[in-house]
Amino acid sequence: MEKYLELLPGFVENIRAIREIIISNIVLLGQIPAPTFHEARRAERLVERLSEFPVDECSLDAFGNPVAMIRGQSNTRPPIFLVAHLDTFSEIESDQHYEVTDKTISGIGVSDNSAAVGVLVSLPEIFKRLALQFESDIVLVAPVSSLGRGNLRGIRRLLNNWSGPIRSAVCLETIELGRLNYYSYGMIRSEIECSIVVENHERRRYKPNAILVINEVINAILGLRLPQQPRTQIVIGRISGGFDHGNIAYDATIGFEIRSDSDDMVRSIYADIRDIVDGVNKAFDVEVKLNRISNLNATRLRYNHPLIKCASKILRYLDVAVFSEPSETAVSIFLGRNIPAITLGITHGNNFHQDDAMIEIEPLYKGIAQIPALLMAIDHGICDG
Amino acid sequence: MGKNWIKSNTFHHSAFKDIKQLLAAKERKQLAISLCLPTLNEELTIAKEIVILKSELMTRYPLLDEIIVIDSGSTDKTREIARSYHVPVHEANDILPHLEKYKGKGENLWKALYVTRGDIIVYLDADIKNIHHHFAYGLLGPLLLTDHIRFTKAFYDRPISIGKNQWRPTGGGRVTELVTRPLFSMFMPDLTQILQPLSGEYAGYRNVFESIPFQIGYGVETGMLIDIHEKWGLDVMAQVDLDRRVHKNQDTKALGRMAFVIMRTFLNRIAYQERIHIGQELYNKMIQYRLVQSDLQQDIYDLAQAERPPMQEIPEYRQKQSRAKCHYHSS
Repeated sequence: MEKYLELLPGFVENIRAIREIIISNIVLLGQIPAPTFHEARRAERLVERLSEFPVDECSLDAFGNPVAMIRGQSNTRPPIFLVAHLDTFSEIESDQHYEVTDKTISGIGVSDNSAAVGVLVSLPEIFKRLALQFESDIVLVAPVSSLGRGNLRGIRRLLNNWSGPIRSAVCLETIELGRLNYYSYGMIRSEIECSIVVENHERRRYKPNAILVINEVINAILGLRLPQQPRTQIVIGRISGGFDHGNIAYDATIGFEIRSDSDDMVRSIYADIRDIVDGVNKAFDVEVKLNRISNLNATRLRYNHPLIKCASKILRYLDVAVFSEPSETAVSIFLGRNIPAITLGITHGNNFHQDDAMIEIEPLYKGIAQIPALLMAIDHGICDG
Repeated sequence: MGKNWIKSNTFHHSAFKDIKQLLAAKERKQLAISLCLPTLNEELTIAKEIVILKSELMTRYPLLDEIIVIDSGSTDKTREIARSYHVPVHEANDILPHLEKYKGKGENLWKALYVTRGDIIVYLDADIKNIHHHFAYGLLGPLLLTDHIRFTKAFYDRPISIGKNQWRPTGGGRVTELVTRPLFSMFMPDLTQILQPLSGEYAGYRNVFESIPFQIGYGVETGMLIDIHEKWGLDVMAQVDLDRRVHKNQDTKALGRMAFVIMRTFLNRIAYQERIHIGQELYNKMIQYRLVQSDLQQDIYDLAQAERPPMQEIPEYRQKQSRAKCHYHSS
């Protein structure tokens, strides 16, 4: 491993030397809007752009995921996947105009996940400049339909159709440099929606109020007893409803997430919440619906897996503080298929999901340098478990 | 008015997207190409322009031999940011410093002729929010792939930024439609075929730019078109559709001052060409009014526009060019 670590300072400088290409890729792709389920334009442009760089194959798969391949020298070694999800949280569908200074890049979606996508597209050129050749094929994927209701559908479909083994996967997230994620909680993300049909209640003396009904649901959820083992949590993260201050609310919605180390516990809590919703429906004679948006299984790479150790060593050599947290990225899909996988962050930034999201340019060089170093280690079998 | 020019000399940038073809033509013709970005307080846009143009047309494909920034004395971080991306940044006043000092975009463009070394020079405004390298290669295409076109000019749709992430699709080019096009229609109908005569993006051969005078301020584009048309005719010119150019909105009074300078440039040019006789000196001051509480307050702007002579008349320039030629032949 030491010999790869020693290459890192040179990698950083070589990557810095082509920063204009990297920033251009971030900007030219990031400015194309890509809300979940509406990524087609960005996907097509990404394929067009990747094909201008030194890759051997590049196309959209049947689900619309851009996939490119750099052929390795061995015909027998399974491929290594590099993944950066293509879609963004922003619903805006008009072209954006990123701002670049000497230190930062800012604009909607840059920190989730446009910068990582720009870096993914730059990697073939970076490998060329670093004169790197791999034994394994390197597969670059920017899956669509990852976020929210997308529920990582793009990468799920791609892997369903992928024949043959996969050696490892490295998932790239723009934020935060030092991030080294290798596990995901079991999770169900849902919405509870209360809507009141006005005609049905015109003759009632006390018209139901959707916000108060939802409040009953919240109180009931808060009354659930959650175990300390396996660790389990319910987060109510979104709420909306009503029309104005002086009118009874005819609709209200909450969004929540159940997380646990145990998939069984997630399912059990979800069943409890379904019972609560059924109970409130009957008690208030209103329509309350429970809608599942997405789910993940609890997955984990053992903490002393060589892939994690190598990634940690690289980050420490780069003088970057390492931290781990549960990941809701494609890493869980790979781990669910027993493919060693981790998520890495590539830079620092601010205003994560806001219109003026910003990333720093300088940390990018270290953030990118960790990728070829880790790929070399994987390619040479140092990360095999 | 020639009717075929607009058909034969109007292009779309996509016709030139094969950059390798442009590179081959550049090498065959043994040309060097310079790109100049004139700036005044453009810290929000300058880096993106440099990064994309340098990445796509220098690092990946060596179509441009140099990118330079000529600054009029920005008080923001324009020069610092530009230098951080390793492009030469010149302050206009430091070039040919013994000459009288002027401040304006035209001054920057004119002085760029002295510090650049390209046989072709591309000028792009530095405030383009939606910069893409097709802005440069689109303008270069007709110059490289034909033998008769010596000057290209951009046209585009001009949506206006009216707030964060908000754009109004039309409304740009008001001075063009209200001032320049009526004047061209009256006196030089051939030039009405140029769809965006005031666009700040154009490219041409050095021997074109060095042979014409440059207005210092807003009149530079108008004067340039009239002079090139007068000297070589319309056929050496082409226009290229760059699709969209997003820029900052200017208020009506600022556009009024711009219109003043353009009209003044135009009238001076046609008077010089003896097409009309103006029986008086034109005033240099634009007078505008604004309501302050219940009083109308007068704002007077001195819009006197100096003009630089053709660069080839400057002795230092001639010496520099002949030294460059000697160096070229000896190497």
